Amino acid sequence: MTFLSDVWYVAWRELIKFFRSKVRVVVTLVQPLLWLGLMGNVLQGFAKAPYVQQMLGTQSYLAFMTPGIILMTVLFGGVFSGISIIWDRRIGYLEKMMAAPISRGAIPLGKMLAAAIQGGIQVLIIVFIATGLGVRFATGPAGILLIVLIAMVFSTILSGFSLSVAVTVKTQETLMALVNFLTMPLMFTSNALFPRAAMPAWLAAIAKVNPVSHAVAPIRELTLYGWNWGAMYTGIAVTVGLALAMALFAQWMFHRATVE
Amino acid sequence: MSVAVEVENLVKVYRGGVRAVDGISFSIGEREIFGFLGPNGAGKSTTIKCVIGLLKPTSGHIRVLGTDVRHDPGAVKRSIGYAAQETAVDDRLTGWENLYLQGRFYHLSRGEIRRRGEEVLKLFGLWERRNDTADTYSGGMLKRLDIACALIHRPRILFLDEPTLGLDVQTRKTIWEYIEKLRAEHEMTIFLTTHYMEEADALSDRVAIIDRGRIVALDRPGALKAAIGGDLITVRFSDAGADLEPLLVSLRGLDGVREVRETSDGVHRIVVERDGDRLIPRIVRLAEEHGVGIHSIRLKRPTLDDVYLHYTGREIREAGGSREELIRTRVMSRRIRR
Ligand SMILES: Nc1ncnc2c1ncn2[C@@H]1O[C@H](COP(=O)(O)OP(=O)(O)OP(=O)(O)O)[C@@H](O)[C@H]1O
Ligand SMILES: [Mg+2]
Repeated sequence: MTFLSDVWYVAWRELIKFFRSKVRVVVTLVQPLLWLGLMGNVLQGFAKAPYVQQMLGTQSYLAFMTPGIILMTVLFGGVFSGISIIWDRRIGYLEKMMAAPISRGAIPLGKMLAAAIQGGIQVLIIVFIATGLGVRFATGPAGILLIVLIAMVFSTILSGFSLSVAVTVKTQETLMALVNFLTMPLMFTSNALFPRAAMPAWLAAIAKVNPVSHAVAPIRELTLYGWNWGAMYTGIAVTVGLALAMALFAQWMFHRATVE
Repeated sequence: MSVAVEVENLVKVYRGGVRAVDGISFSIGEREIFGFLGPNGAGKSTTIKCVIGLLKPTSGHIRVLGTDVRHDPGAVKRSIGYAAQETAVDDRLTGWENLYLQGRFYHLSRGEIRRRGEEVLKLFGLWERRNDTADTYSGGMLKRLDIACALIHRPRILFLDEPTLGLDVQTRKTIWEYIEKLRAEHEMTIFLTTHYMEEADALSDRVAIIDRGRIVALDRPGALKAAIGGDLITVRFSDAGADLEPLLVSLRGLDGVREVRETSDGVHRIVVERDGDRLIPRIVRLAEEHGVGIHSIRLKRPTLDDVYLHYTGREIREAGGSREELIRTRVMSRRIRR
């Protein structure tokens, strides 16, 4: 089982550095607080209107947007995987790892695992803050656990993508530009923060196929209503499938970029 | 002596067409310190990376401890240690964490890492600073930590790519001592690259001079230096009128002296095989015995320049524009002037 050990120690390094960087930890804590506290409260006014409540499917905009904020946080967190591998290449650490007898594939997978664990921790913090602001999670601790898992799997899509880009472009600036170019529209053409019913037809059509919408569906179901597997399995299947595909793609890109 | 590394007709052409290594063959015996000496861009790092399986050779055969690198890269990697030219330490981690991680990447157990980690960190004088993050380390400490990392799994062969690049003379000497200790106490085979003649000379059993991807000379350092002319001692005697003949005869009879010749301005040039510095006291003593005063005495050792001049027929090529190379050239030219 040296492969699993390799993956874990690649991730271990990232996690140590994450917790050692006070700024990143503070940002991780404060960001969801800002999103939930500010945006949730500002827009709560809209949710007083009955037709808005009908569109949201709940009386609390905060409860509606919490799943969206969860995905947004892990989405933006994924970009760090790519940055870290660009950095490793610069300082020669990538070469050092490859001179060791570790499986090549463990390097991208370890980085993705680290991103997923960081994401999972962030999601727990968001759940905690949301609960403090009055959101009641319909499915309790077991549901919250599943929410964390789905979010972690979802984060793999983004970290895999940023890794794949990173090994190709090799500079941090280009990576950030490309990833942001994708994440922002991805977020705002989904129903993570706004209900599809409130969207113009063309946007609603995009939102329907958007992977963020697929991931948000089961999380929202677990947050607002309960264990309705019928409403969740498509979203879960799509998310897991995309994550697997992205993990494989990142592996392939990594192999391609490191064999000379 | 069995063979540790065997390279046959190694060629490496990079994507884009740079022929970095152009048909190199050599072999290294077990417990040998083998030096690779060459200017910037000669192909030293490329050769190392091919041997340890980081780069795929364009053609040629490489065997490490009898194993073909292409057939079983894992086995080769486990039996060697590698410290790259650019120090690869994660400076957000502590010295210990860097070492621990390296041990884990070589699949050592926690206990093994603790034992060997303590051993190498103490050997390299880093034990007291092990819990500080590496961004508080000096350049020399980083380099030492990097080499320590390469030793954590007790490799049988150690590859050091320019282990003393950019270090001051003191630190360089310390690293030489460590390297010699490793060979003596741990029976390690060591392959090192350098562009310091002095370093190759002090450490290596054999030296290969590499230029433009080819080995232009391969021998013991003494033989290489002898071939380029040996040390040159220049003496100016204070009393030019005195009869120098008896003294010159005794000088010619000294062990290691190859030639004594008077140059036009009354200065004598003494060409010696090696260790010119050790001959100086004896020259002074002989002059005293013959009642001849010495005005001045100068020792000139063969430099990198001389070696290249001899083996490649030209001076060391102009370095490129990068900052790193500029520093190296400056360090080198300082050495040459001395
Ligand atoms: N990744 C690469 N892609 C293309 N060319 C390369 C690459 N790495 C090195 N080269 C080229 O190959 C040649 C040999 O480089 P190498 O790094 O092996 O030299 P070196 O002897 O180690 O030099 P130095 O003393 O500067 O470290 C150089 O001309 C260099 O420009
Ligand atoms: Mg080099």
